[in-house]
Amino acid sequence: MIGVLDVVLLAFILGCALATALLRDVLGSIIAFSAYSLGIAVIWVFLRAPDVGLTEAAVGAGVMTILFLVTIAKTSRPSGERTLERIDYRAAGIAIALVAVLSTTLVALPPFGSAESAVLTDEVTRYYLANAYEQTEVKNAVTAVLAGYRGFDTLGEAAVVYAAGVSLLVVLKKQVFA
Amino acid sequence: MTTVRVITPFVFTLGLFVMFHGADSSGGGFQGGVIVGTVVLMLGIAFGIETTREWIGPNIPILMICLGVLAFLLIGIGSVLLGGGFLEYSTYGFYHATKYGIEFVELAIGLIVSGIVTGLFFVIASGLQGNRSDVR
Repeated sequence: MIGVLDVVLLAFILGCALATALLRDVLGSIIAFSAYSLGIAVIWVFLRAPDVGLTEAAVGAGVMTILFLVTIAKTSRPSGERTLERIDYRAAGIAIALVAVLSTTLVALPPFGSAESAVLTDEVTRYYLANAYEQTEVKNAVTAVLAGYRGFDTLGEAAVVYAAGVSLLVVLKKQVFA
Repeated sequence: MTTVRVITPFVFTLGLFVMFHGADSSGGGFQGGVIVGTVVLMLGIAFGIETTREWIGPNIPILMICLGVLAFLLIGIGSVLLGGGFLEYSTYGFYHATKYGIEFVELAIGLIVSGIVTGLFFVIASGLQGNRSDVR
């Protein structure tokens, strides 16, 4: 079921995305991007994924915005009075073609909120939902999977974050974050 | 500045809450770590990035990241040494070992993420405020 609120939210996200792409002022673009992330975060909550929503709100709308702002503080504003960027029609055509190709997969998706979707009927999902609390004593099944059943994957993710930090320092030829 | 001074302890507590309470409600080490990192970003915006960096010290983010990865690795290897599988928390054998093992891992992830967020902010912001000698 798609209600009025979903439609409004989707329109808001689409508008923010367009504003991010089209605004000529980078500062305005960043603010639009932050609003876009916030909209996506609310969408995640609507889709019953509060963990992802929390991440999107904290990283996408919060930290990324600050990092972008700190970055553009080193640049200068483009001259000229135009508000919107001129559209490169060839690039726009390619982007629209890509969206069209990807959209063909939409029909293969199960309906919104369907109980017969492959994720819900899968044996692994059923196993986690049935046994997560008894085996890990953790009420949040997402955490049980992340740190319990798939703990090794999460260790890999932690190592990726660590490697990203280290490689940043290597690229910048620094020994500390300063 | 006053606003930041007032809400900083609350945001910090929220971050720790999200980190610790990730086991029983939505949240977890990653989200909580980002929120804790946000505290430093707020302080940096309010009181000046250089001041905040000097106050925190350049080594703290690195220490946090390395400590987090090491703690995660050690809790995984520790269960192997005790005769179980990798990251098999129940081999530690104390009261609710799995639950507290997961909480500990979340805390380690939180350390890594908050360290990275703080460090990224400091690195990207370096060279601002006329201090161009850092940018080569």
